[in-house]
Amino acid sequence: MLATVMASVVPPANTAAMAEESDSCLSCHGDEKLTVTLENGEEAPLFMNKDLLAGSVHKALRCTDCHVGLDEVPHPERHYKNLAHFRASFGEACKTCHFENYTKTLDSVHYGLQARGDVYAPTCVKCHGSHDIARPAEPRSRISRTCASCHEQISQAYARSVHGKALLTQQNQDVPVCTDCHRSHDIADPKNKAWLMGTPALCGKCHADEKLMSKYGLSTNVLATYLADFHGTTASFGSKGETSGNERVVALCVDCHGIHDIGKVTGPDAPAFRANLVKTCQKCHPGASQNFPAAWMSHYQPSLHRTPLVFLVKLFYAFIVPFTVGGLILQILLHLWRAVVNR
Amino acid sequence: MTQKKVDTDYVVRFGRRDRMDHVLVTVLFSVLVITGFPQKFHDVALARAIVSALGGIAQVRLFHRIAGVLVSGLTLAHLVTVLAGVITGRSSLSMMLSGKDFRDAATTLRYYLRVSEVRARFDRFDYKQKFEYWGLVLGSLVMITTGFVLLFPIAATHFLPGQIIPAAKVAHSNEGLMGFLVVVIWHLYNAHFAPEVFPFDKSIFTGKISRARMRHEHPLEYARMFPEEAADVLRDREEDPARK
Repeated sequence: MLATVMASVVPPANTAAMAEESDSCLSCHGDEKLTVTLENGEEAPLFMNKDLLAGSVHKALRCTDCHVGLDEVPHPERHYKNLAHFRASFGEACKTCHFENYTKTLDSVHYGLQARGDVYAPTCVKCHGSHDIARPAEPRSRISRTCASCHEQISQAYARSVHGKALLTQQNQDVPVCTDCHRSHDIADPKNKAWLMGTPALCGKCHADEKLMSKYGLSTNVLATYLADFHGTTASFGSKGETSGNERVVALCVDCHGIHDIGKVTGPDAPAFRANLVKTCQKCHPGASQNFPAAWMSHYQPSLHRTPLVFLVKLFYAFIVPFTVGGLILQILLHLWRAVVNR
Repeated sequence: MTQKKVDTDYVVRFGRRDRMDHVLVTVLFSVLVITGFPQKFHDVALARAIVSALGGIAQVRLFHRIAGVLVSGLTLAHLVTVLAGVITGRSSLSMMLSGKDFRDAATTLRYYLRVSEVRARFDRFDYKQKFEYWGLVLGSLVMITTGFVLLFPIAATHFLPGQIIPAAKVAHSNEGLMGFLVVVIWHLYNAHFAPEVFPFDKSIFTGKISRARMRHEHPLEYARMFPEEAADVLRDREEDPARK
């Protein structure tokens, strides 16, 4: 209770201090024409639009909370080669408060680019914005728009997908946005084999979730049936690091269903998907005949109706194994019993 | 029959080829189990440990396939030898099942249940050995056929329906499990834990069996080997009901 009172009391004082400092900064940075010339001759704008702050989650912060070391006027001298370098220099400002997310970014593919000296690689502000910084997932579709600012083609493919359509046209909150698969701060390199091998588990997060899938009438057997099959077994060994290095990556969910343009396999899209199945198989098995796709039971358990041969073979062994083994154990017990009797 | 009727306390029961076949089957069967079961039970921690230790799933499959091809060769060689033996008349087909084997099984069952005190008299191989042999041969043929279908799925589905692949996998997986269970339960009991042989029946490794055991377990063959004792051996059996 006390904390709540404190919290409601503190901001006004803070806001006052902030307003005071902001006024002093804006006396220069409120000038639209304020720029600085960088080493390569590029002009960096130094104008701060006050209106941007109004919608910012950070509107209660002081300018110097982020722009560290610039409390004094005139500001200490700094050197930037070019505009990109100048912008990249803001990348580290957030870690003072958001240290956990900052450390996550160190494992990201974006940081990897930065570490190799790419000044165009996205830093915090590239995705989150700067003065107008707002909650990143409100609305959720904002996330894919954020990524689209660089990954335009992929974003278009996503918009065509069953997930993208549901999000963008029906505001569906269950479908994955970019960050649900790729994560937000520790975004992995999608070409990384270990990450790729883990993608079935990624799809399984939703598609093996009974509660979520029942809403859409989708089977949760898809992950289990995949893992039980040759490709899935291989992938499951690969994902835990039990690989020998030169192994080929086997068919993962995305190899048959698509990556960003994942479509429906039921309803009106189904015939096209089925018709393309041979071609899909042939991507890895060039000699595959029209018979070959039926080797995959389409995520179904063997049934008399769908796959009678598999079903009957399974049924046969369901009887013969216990019958044989049970019979032999019985014979052993009888043999032992008679040996005891004979003593 | 090359057994010499000299003053030895044993007779030679298995030749070099039989002993070698047994060792090869033992080794290859073990390799197939060790590399096959982790694929069947892939989500078990032990399976993951084995796959790691053997250098990854691709490596494990390679070992499994090499051992499978070798077993195929061994089985083929065995069948050719038997067939050649039959054609040239040198082989007696001692493993062939006959009506006597089923009668022997029934007699033995009655004996175990103490319905009757009459014990079956066996020839070179008793019915248990014959059933195990046929289980191994037929099981191997199932494993070899389905194994090759799984190894060449593209070729197999050129002339067979696609369903043959998952069906072969179900058969291969279950037949393998059954073979393993028969070996660890039945074969190890009969070769190690049965009171008559405990702790270890070495005859398939040494090729030799004691005359006493031979006379007790394979009286019909024994009587053929030692005709002068035949009358004795066969009378022994008739006295069995008196034994309590």
